[in-house]
Amino acid sequence: MTNPPQSSNITITKDSAFSVKINRFLALLQRLLSNPTTVIGLIIIGLMLSMAIFAPWITTANIPDPYQMPRDWGAVRKPPGEMGYLLGTTNEGGDVFYGIVWGSRTSLQLSIYVVGSTMIIGTIIGSIAGLLGGWVDEVLMRIVDVFLSIPELIFALAIAAVLGPSFTNIIIALSLVIWVKYARIMRAQVLQIKQNDFVDAARIVGDSKFNIYIKDILPNAVTPVTVQATLDMGNVVLIGATLSFIGLSEAGIAEWGVLVSEGQAGIASGRWWASTFPGLMIFLWALAFNLLGDGLRDALDPRLEDR
Amino acid sequence: MPNNQFENNVLAKVKDLKVHFNSKRGVVHAVDGVDFEILNGETLGLVGETGCGKSVTGRSFLRLLPIPPGIIKGGAVNFKANLVCTRCSGRGCSECGKSGHKTEKGEQVDLLKISDTRMREIRGDRIAMIFQDPGKALNPTLTVGAQMAEVFLQHRSLEILDMAGLGQIKNKAILRFAKQDVKLFDKILLLLPKARKQKLKVQEAVKIMVSKALSETQVPNPLKLLDRFPHELSGGMRQRVMIAQALACNPDLLIADEPTTALDVTVEARILELIRELQLKRKTSVLYISHDLSLVRRICDRVAVMYAGRIVEIGKAEEIFANPSHPYTRGLMAAVPSNGIPRGSLSAIKGTVPELIDPPDSCRFSGRCPYEVNGCRVNDPKLRKITESHSVACFINDASLSWCAPSFEEERV
Amino acid sequence: MQLRDYIIRRLMVLPILILGVSIVVFTLTRVGGSPIGIYLSHEMTPEEVLKIEERFGLDKPVLVQYIQWLKGIVSGDFGWSGVASAPVAEVFPIKLAATLELATAAGLVALFLGITLGTFAGARRNRFPDHLTRIVAVSGASLPQFWFGILLLIIFWAQLGIAPIGRSDATIFASISHPTGLYTIDAILAGSIRALWDAIWHLILPALTLGYGATAIIARMMRSALVEELQQDYVDAARAKGLAEKLVIKRHARRNALVPTITVIGLTFGFLLQGTITIEIIYRWPGIGRWMADSVLRGDQATLMTYVLFTSVLFLLVNLIVDVIYANLDRRVTLGK
Repeated sequence: MTNPPQSSNITITKDSAFSVKINRFLALLQRLLSNPTTVIGLIIIGLMLSMAIFAPWITTANIPDPYQMPRDWGAVRKPPGEMGYLLGTTNEGGDVFYGIVWGSRTSLQLSIYVVGSTMIIGTIIGSIAGLLGGWVDEVLMRIVDVFLSIPELIFALAIAAVLGPSFTNIIIALSLVIWVKYARIMRAQVLQIKQNDFVDAARIVGDSKFNIYIKDILPNAVTPVTVQATLDMGNVVLIGATLSFIGLSEAGIAEWGVLVSEGQAGIASGRWWASTFPGLMIFLWALAFNLLGDGLRDALDPRLEDR
Repeated sequence: MPNNQFENNVLAKVKDLKVHFNSKRGVVHAVDGVDFEILNGETLGLVGETGCGKSVTGRSFLRLLPIPPGIIKGGAVNFKANLVCTRCSGRGCSECGKSGHKTEKGEQVDLLKISDTRMREIRGDRIAMIFQDPGKALNPTLTVGAQMAEVFLQHRSLEILDMAGLGQIKNKAILRFAKQDVKLFDKILLLLPKARKQKLKVQEAVKIMVSKALSETQVPNPLKLLDRFPHELSGGMRQRVMIAQALACNPDLLIADEPTTALDVTVEARILELIRELQLKRKTSVLYISHDLSLVRRICDRVAVMYAGRIVEIGKAEEIFANPSHPYTRGLMAAVPSNGIPRGSLSAIKGTVPELIDPPDSCRFSGRCPYEVNGCRVNDPKLRKITESHSVACFINDASLSWCAPSFEEERV
Repeated sequence: MQLRDYIIRRLMVLPILILGVSIVVFTLTRVGGSPIGIYLSHEMTPEEVLKIEERFGLDKPVLVQYIQWLKGIVSGDFGWSGVASAPVAEVFPIKLAATLELATAAGLVALFLGITLGTFAGARRNRFPDHLTRIVAVSGASLPQFWFGILLLIIFWAQLGIAPIGRSDATIFASISHPTGLYTIDAILAGSIRALWDAIWHLILPALTLGYGATAIIARMMRSALVEELQQDYVDAARAKGLAEKLVIKRHARRNALVPTITVIGLTFGFLLQGTITIEIIYRWPGIGRWMADSVLRGDQATLMTYVLFTSVLFLLVNLIVDVIYANLDRRVTLGK
């Protein structure tokens, strides 16, 4: 009771630095999970992922290519529940439920390929521009500006169009469009962090440019890139499905956008199910990653950390 | 004091005011039982460090508190507005007599309990406020004229209509326009040629009132100022606009929340002078909130020292500066540079302001106090009078205070 | 002075960006397949193919081809659209009018709803309107527009039978002339209430479908900007004058919150532009979006190139205008603070 409020001695050791990191991570996790909408997003993502992983156990895989819709010409245009088709069938006798389950795999592939590749390419190009500066920066950023001048979907549509209709080409087209976002984020981060005091301090201590980059700049840039990547996981599936819907995938592939397109023909005759369910999946997928991305952004916001 | 009524010379009385804030770490007792009075026509200085609750206390008069997270936990802010002639706002007219003086007292109200509508009638009319940073307190997207017009339209619409020669007008749309309560349908009605002419007349009258109010703050070319945006003015000019706006309706009480902190020292003196002059002319009471003791000494009649959500000492300015009786007040004074004190002998009070989350029932200054005695950490000192006009919340009386050697010089600045 | 420099610098970069886009577009069409694929069929002999290639100048070096294409564009020759069986330059304005009408209607819906919802939500934080706006904002960003449009069609067209499809009723269309190509304007010009009603009736569903996502963008920005503004001193100063809360929000906070909200208008415009592609497919709307989709599937490269170039230039211009307006307003704000 009587001890005066003297400042207590704080000693920092490597050990405590590590535990600080762990504590910070736990605090982040706590902040994430305290937000109900983020939890909803995580639950949906969890369900989607398990659907993708356990697809062969949920439905019998189509032979030889499970990503191709099985056609049961004896059960065309069946409403949900009839003839054992849980969510009905399409005009061409495709099982909507099968399409949804295997479509989650297609979507997962699309988002992982696109986000993974663009994150790497964008990060590298953005870092080079930011670190080297000068004319390299100037040229790279002008290219980025040109790419950003064309609306996302229209650009992807144009690329996919000249490459020819196939799901792989959609992945390529999206990758060519999306990478600029990461290049931009990364360059801004590098420039911003380059000006911070601790990088100056590192320079005075005599660290090489590359070391400074790896040790100080890269870890700090993780936050905005992660948030963007999370949002893009949903976003690219949305655009990809739109391209498929327009008709830039192979017909008959188990992909949600293709299924919506296939079901569209039947709505005049009251066959609502073939479009509704696959579209709902696209919506839920994008929604889940948007919720998680928003939650991440809030949780990682340094302004909120002290509260 | 029978029936809780004021003495005649009292304008407002704060009783046991408690304002708390909910935060994630607990309840912050920002203002925790504050008592004081504001007398008619006086300047009361409210002094203290950042975060001691002085701004919150000041804003309580206008109920401008962020609620939630804030909660008014208890107490009362009693206020007896002077009845003013609604036609001329006390400037003197045929109806209220040429004196223009505020003679009769109005009813006494508790500002914390009255309805929102009643509160809005008082805001800007009977109680006005000047903010710390005039650059932030003026809307960047509205012209000076438009912002100042709002006060007049809000509280003096009858006078404006009189001035515009529309005193007997029956047109509801124009009436609502003069009260800034234009409904969607009125906008269409106001497009009619006759209404438009009347509308212009009203705007002209407002313009005259605004430029008159501005000229009182010694602004050169007030008419030219009306169409300017705040960012086109200097800091001093902006604060003059704020002052003109605050004193527009001749309020009984002016809350001045560090009005010169954001300004240059050279401008500061002139602004202070201006406030003082206008205040004396209009017999307005001023609650002057500041962290600057030397400034308060210059302009205040009485001074209240706040520490950690409480008032620890209050009294006439001369008394407080001649005989500071709370250890905290003494510490504050020792930290103020003034002529005659050699460099280097300025001192800071050791330690920091305690956190106001669930504070203990003890003297808030214990732990930092150089005069601390055993009782200080167990009991909570109440304000008690040491002279008729000077009260202190401390266990040690002033005799023993001067007896003890002050030890503020421990930490040199 | 600084603002003028800023505008001049932006204007100088603009042609460079447009040139860059044209290079990208041209490169794309030369990389994938043949730009005249639409004219070729399996029955053609190699000589015939060569003749066609010659007609389109494909035997010349790529750079020459590019310059020829650019020259054509500058002189108003955008090539021949195989899908429309007409010169691109001839069909484009007609189809563009349809798309513009749709996008404008959707944009107006979004602007009105977005600002209203955002203001409502920001002023009533963590209460019902705020939650509603959050749902709109998050769902709007995640909603596949083509699916949303189909859902609306299932309900209002297929099931209830109250919503029309297409752009107008054939007999009503024939009853008036169409000088502008914007059917609502045409109907007003002709003074035909029946035609106006028909045009609006056909517009409602597509405009709502397209406007929903844009509403989400604007509402979200408006909300956060208003929340930010409500914490500023001038809001308390306005309250201290005795103004009613309604006036404090409308005249003071909302006015300032609109300034940062302007920045998302460029984004919203891009969103509306690309949204027209699927919306026009679903609602059989005869605009450039659906034309583009058809051209993509049938290898109509001239249309594709024109479309991408045109939308990009439009997008760039809108963004430039938005930035200049914002810089103009923001200068006031930042210098004011």
